[in-house]
Amino acid sequence: MEAKAQIPRSESQMLRVNPKKFILWLFLVSIVMIFISMTSAYIVKRSDGDWLIFDLPEALLYSTFIIIASSITMHWGYLSARADSISKLKVALSLTFVLSLAFLATQFYGWSQLVDNDVYFVGNAAGSFIYVLTGLHAFHLITGIIFLVIVLISASKYKVHSRKMLQIEMCTTYWHFLGGLWVYLFLFLSLYN
Amino acid sequence: MSGIVLGLGLLLVVAILIAIFRVSTLLGIAKKEGQPRVGKANGINAFLLILFLIGSMALLFWYSYTHFDSYNLPLASEHGAVTDRLFWITMAVTGVVFLITQILLLTFPFKYQYKETNKALYFPDNNKLELIWTLVPAVVLSLLVFSGWKAWVDIMDKAPDDSEQIEVMGYQFAWAVRYGGTDKELGDSDFRLIDLDNRMGIDFSDRNAHDDFLATEIHVPKGKNVQFKIRATDVIHSVYAPHFRLQMNAVPGMPTSFWFVPTKTTAEMRDELGNENFNYELVCNKICGRGHFAMRYLIIVDEPEDYEKWYKEQQSWLKLNPDYMSKVPEELREVAAISAGIDGTTD
Amino acid sequence: MSTTQIHVETDVHHDDHDHHELSFIQKYIFSEDHKVIAKQFLITGIFWAILGGGMSILFRLQLGFPDMDLSILKPILGEWLTPAGKIDSEFYLALVTMHGTIMVFFVLTAGLSGTFSNFLIPLQIGARDMASGFMNMLSYWFFFLSSVIMFISIFIETGPASGGWTIYPPLSALPEAMSGSGLGMTLWLVSMVFFIASTLMGGINYICTVINLRTEGLSFSRLPLTIWAFFITAIIGLLSFPVLFSAALLLVFDRSFGTSFYLSDIYIAGEALPNIGGSPILFQHLFWFLGHPEVYIVILPALGITSEIISTNSRKPIFGYRAMIGSIIGIAVLSFIVWAHHMFVTGMNPFLGSIFMFLTLIIAIPSAVKVFNYITTLWRGNIILTPAMLFSIGLVSFFISGGLTGLFLGNSAIDINVHDTYFVVAHFHIVMGSASFFGMLAGVYHWFPKMFGRMMDEKLGHIHFWISFVGVYMVFFPLHYIGLAGFPRRYYSFTAFDAFQGFTDLNTYVSIAAIITFGAQFIFVFNFFYSMWRGQRAPENPWKSNTLEWTTPIEPGHGNWPGEIPAVHRWPYDYSKPGAKEDFIPQHIPYSDTPESNMPHEEE
Repeated sequence: MEAKAQIPRSESQMLRVNPKKFILWLFLVSIVMIFISMTSAYIVKRSDGDWLIFDLPEALLYSTFIIIASSITMHWGYLSARADSISKLKVALSLTFVLSLAFLATQFYGWSQLVDNDVYFVGNAAGSFIYVLTGLHAFHLITGIIFLVIVLISASKYKVHSRKMLQIEMCTTYWHFLGGLWVYLFLFLSLYN
Repeated sequence: MSGIVLGLGLLLVVAILIAIFRVSTLLGIAKKEGQPRVGKANGINAFLLILFLIGSMALLFWYSYTHFDSYNLPLASEHGAVTDRLFWITMAVTGVVFLITQILLLTFPFKYQYKETNKALYFPDNNKLELIWTLVPAVVLSLLVFSGWKAWVDIMDKAPDDSEQIEVMGYQFAWAVRYGGTDKELGDSDFRLIDLDNRMGIDFSDRNAHDDFLATEIHVPKGKNVQFKIRATDVIHSVYAPHFRLQMNAVPGMPTSFWFVPTKTTAEMRDELGNENFNYELVCNKICGRGHFAMRYLIIVDEPEDYEKWYKEQQSWLKLNPDYMSKVPEELREVAAISAGIDGTTD
Repeated sequence: MSTTQIHVETDVHHDDHDHHELSFIQKYIFSEDHKVIAKQFLITGIFWAILGGGMSILFRLQLGFPDMDLSILKPILGEWLTPAGKIDSEFYLALVTMHGTIMVFFVLTAGLSGTFSNFLIPLQIGARDMASGFMNMLSYWFFFLSSVIMFISIFIETGPASGGWTIYPPLSALPEAMSGSGLGMTLWLVSMVFFIASTLMGGINYICTVINLRTEGLSFSRLPLTIWAFFITAIIGLLSFPVLFSAALLLVFDRSFGTSFYLSDIYIAGEALPNIGGSPILFQHLFWFLGHPEVYIVILPALGITSEIISTNSRKPIFGYRAMIGSIIGIAVLSFIVWAHHMFVTGMNPFLGSIFMFLTLIIAIPSAVKVFNYITTLWRGNIILTPAMLFSIGLVSFFISGGLTGLFLGNSAIDINVHDTYFVVAHFHIVMGSASFFGMLAGVYHWFPKMFGRMMDEKLGHIHFWISFVGVYMVFFPLHYIGLAGFPRRYYSFTAFDAFQGFTDLNTYVSIAAIITFGAQFIFVFNFFYSMWRGQRAPENPWKSNTLEWTTPIEPGHGNWPGEIPAVHRWPYDYSKPGAKEDFIPQHIPYSDTPESNMPHEEE
């Protein structure tokens, strides 16, 4: 009897992730579905024809590098928190914050480059889609920035350290996700133009 | 009429009041210890399920048999015979399943109703049974799918080259119908050219457009291939002609088509039904706004020779609306006048 | 009589000082307790069901009694009545649209999943509460907000959204096309965004709770089928609702910013619009990618509830537990790849039509397996026909009747003629509408004792069942005939066509049946609220059921179990086990306590 009862116990305990982290992952799944549906809509619409061909603005390439860099600084911050080097953590998070603003600025500049190229939000669906995809991503990035600021504040109050990692772990996951999402969108837009 | 409804409402209120009364009496009798686990109601409900089964089946068969002609629309197209046959095959298959499962479902509660002395059979699974009733539906379904697929591919196949082409355009809340005229070619159209008279946006810079004519009824020849070229200018409509088992959405910005072979002329169908006033009707079957329910158009199936005669009598749209000659490019005006059947020159 | 009243009072006091101090607002309004949230969902759902059902009565009056003078309703309907006392034809479409939206989303998604997932998941898996009580609370209040916005939209001057619950553009995108596509449609979209947020928050919580918070010993292979159904439903919702968001977002851009995702070649109200290159079909693809899974979001929880109730009241283990789980998963997976069967005649590529016909008919197999398993569960049972059991049997009956007509509609060749006719209306009202609704009612009757500590009146329950069961068949079965005769959906009146002159009697008959069936629901409403305060006190395990919720106190407080959470030692369907003393062995009883009934592989 004892042996019988113990097998399922260990089995179900193995699955126990922190519920908050798990919720974050499920939340990411729903964001993924939004972007999958958007990019599928893009593919379907493109195959209908009547599709404007234009060059992707250069700014988007720069912003890709910026967001990758921010992912690296974010991870550096995460590692510093684990090593309890709070000063490095603060530097890393602040750097990430600055890079994220730079990213948004570049995206915005990318839009103005699009306008210069006569690609408008209202007009051919090819153009509209670029604005929608970048805009949706930027919206999610802003939520990420808010999260980042919250972590930054708790870090400055010395509330993030090796024994209090949950918040920064979640923030890092979200941040890497947003970075990965943008890289996906960038590659998608470059390949399927 | 409203009296009846009011009466019904009153009746319900009374019924509810009686129910309230019963509840209060029921509450008076507090449940006593040692009462049996299941009361008399169990047997009554089980019996009622059987009664319902018999009653509803009797009603179902009686109505389906006696009113067959009212719900089974007469058929007037070639592919319709195929889909109707598929329909009845599916009906036979599903009918058998329907009868067996409903009979079992509604008789078991009676047959196996609760008895203090009984004990249910502990029967948690049986792989063989489950395999059987996974495989049998799978086989039956694949047969249905296969026959359906064959019919679908044939119906949706490209229209034969010799098809009569008729353009059907939906707009709020009517249809516009255009024929190719003497050259039997439909001219171009563009939604930007639409105005109050040129409702279909015919583009008169296209030579094929000059002899096109619009018709107030859709005439089609019996036994010939007919293709409807379908479009819409404002919202989605749907071209639905139930007698021809024909349906295709009319989508703004995305022309669609449907081809078929009519098999009975309007006159033949009138004789068959013994209804002097019978007409084939075209219906809108996609919600399109206030007038959705009234987008009626007539389809007249003629003998081929009558059809040709009618076709020749029609006057081109350009001839009926000579003002639009100004929309025809200068160099084409002379040709346009000839193909539109306009005698002499206009201004 | 008097004893009951005393019980009520003591009960109320007892509850008040049971746990640590919570203010009234924390306890009943912004509560984070899953049981309270479940009741909030249920009562909001009942409110919407009455409103949505009432709307259907209004348009049934128009269809059944086209000449009737409705001037009596002038105080309620106001400008929507023509001077002759008839319903305005655009208002008719508004009613149809609101009825669909309310029933599909607010009643059968939020009202059903919201109530029972919230109530049963923690209780049946042995958890103190949901993974995140706060998110759970937000989920309800987002739903509430969404409800309020939709409710307001009914009363604005241009009327609520009227383009059908599927809101196909261009109709829904152009205020020139119908007045409901103006502000009403905007409010519809806003309301839906909140609804999507609510569903996602709820669903994420359900998934996380089922995976992480199961009690000791409760492996997935011992999970009650209710939980399996809620779990899979939540996953479907998580994957499909974001797609509705995308579809709605692009529609918002088309409506308010002038983009051309869905609009092209449009001439309306005397002018040609500048939009070029959009595709209305794109919207339909996106919409039905949610829309079809949504159908299963509606029916799966009902099937889960039914599995539990049929097994309990047949005093027999559910037949083919694993096959049941398999078919739930099968249906869930297939539900994502069949959406385009709603679009056979939209002008979609016929080759795609062939593929979707094939996939669609495959989904009939797991559905058939479920039906056969239900029937086998009844076979040689010891059946107790409680109201919950009757409603469950009714559900299976509807699931068969409506499911079989699906084989006609899923066959693209046959669908050409019956698409968008009353045949479709009959099909989905039986298989999805009535079946899920019956599942919801069955669930309320079955778990009412756990929710409110009192029993619902059984006699009234039986009366309610019989009028509803016969009524639903009398309302929806005749619609098959009307549909075969080619009657299109969403028609305000059938007088404009020669072909549709018949069936006036049948339409009148259907309307009368609908009024009676709707009226009978008030027996339920009465029973529900009356029993809440005056019903008989419930025993601890009124249905002698196996699952964990019946091991809690009669009215579980915050945290569900006052002491330790019981561990689980067996699957939930040990009913009428050979050799056992009683005809049920609850999940928390270890095998060592039941040596007389253990199977060889269960011996230690």
